[in-house]
Amino acid sequence: MHVSPLSWIALTCAVVAAVIMIYYLIYRPPLNGRVKLLMMVAVGVLPIMTAMIGNLEGLQATEHQAFCGSCHTMDMHIADANDADSLSLAAIHSRTIKFGDKSCYVCHKDYGMFGYAMTKLGGMGHVYMFLSEFAWYDMEEALPKIHIARPFKNDNCMQCHSTTGRIWNGVADHNGLLEDLRTGTTSCASAGCHGYAHPFSKPDEETPSDAEAHSALSAPSPEGT
Amino acid sequence: MNPRAKIERFLDNASRSRLMVYACVLGLIGLVLMSWSLFDQGWIPVMMAMSVGQGIGTLSFALFLVIVIIDLRKAEFRPSITPMPPKPEDD
Repeated sequence: MHVSPLSWIALTCAVVAAVIMIYYLIYRPPLNGRVKLLMMVAVGVLPIMTAMIGNLEGLQATEHQAFCGSCHTMDMHIADANDADSLSLAAIHSRTIKFGDKSCYVCHKDYGMFGYAMTKLGGMGHVYMFLSEFAWYDMEEALPKIHIARPFKNDNCMQCHSTTGRIWNGVADHNGLLEDLRTGTTSCASAGCHGYAHPFSKPDEETPSDAEAHSALSAPSPEGT
Repeated sequence: MNPRAKIERFLDNASRSRLMVYACVLGLIGLVLMSWSLFDQGWIPVMMAMSVGQGIGTLSFALFLVIVIIDLRKAEFRPSITPMPPKPEDD
């Protein structure tokens, strides 16, 4: 359970507003100027404060794994991302401080000027899909049907792995496919390259070899990449 | 009866105290939904708070504004400066 100081302020506003409203409902004082002023605070000012802080906290909550994992169909994705022994791209990235508890959001969010809004719109699409279809499946039924709505953009990988570093360009495959990788024609997270981010969900999984995965683990930082 | 006449009739006849009771009940429901999301940040509470909770809260505040409008319609506005008595005409 996440309770920030802001949440306590919002809760205090809500409690004070609720006490005033309950007082009105019980005693029904005549609506003179003073009572109306009090009710404006109870029905307007304090609930608006609660709503604004709630929005702020709610939007921040949507960036955490706990939010993504609150749909049962994401249980295995979250479990794999947090598995210390897993060598999937999701797990390797989730172990770094840059991603950590927000790994779903950091990898899947859209970047750019309208990135935040577009990410939230995409999230609404996920909610619709969950309510209209996936909520009624158990994990075994859902897993083969879960797929990313749009191909994963290399731009998201390139937020850290800029494709300009010496170490990155020292890899022959990177060098040969440089333009394809930058334009997204070849996906970094594909079977022939670094493997799928969530390989357990793919029937024809092809994950990187242990050596490749361990070399990714031992890389000190993405700065040279 | 046209919509404007209907609204005016409603504003003339509506009980302010009853509207305030509705506003309080809706406000309490909205506050419960909004507060729930502060402690349980799964997708259901967060989305309920940011859609249904805030919608109900807005409706509650709108009812309060209706009460204010009713009061303003019935208010008698008195000028703050009393009009000067007419000057007696000079002879």
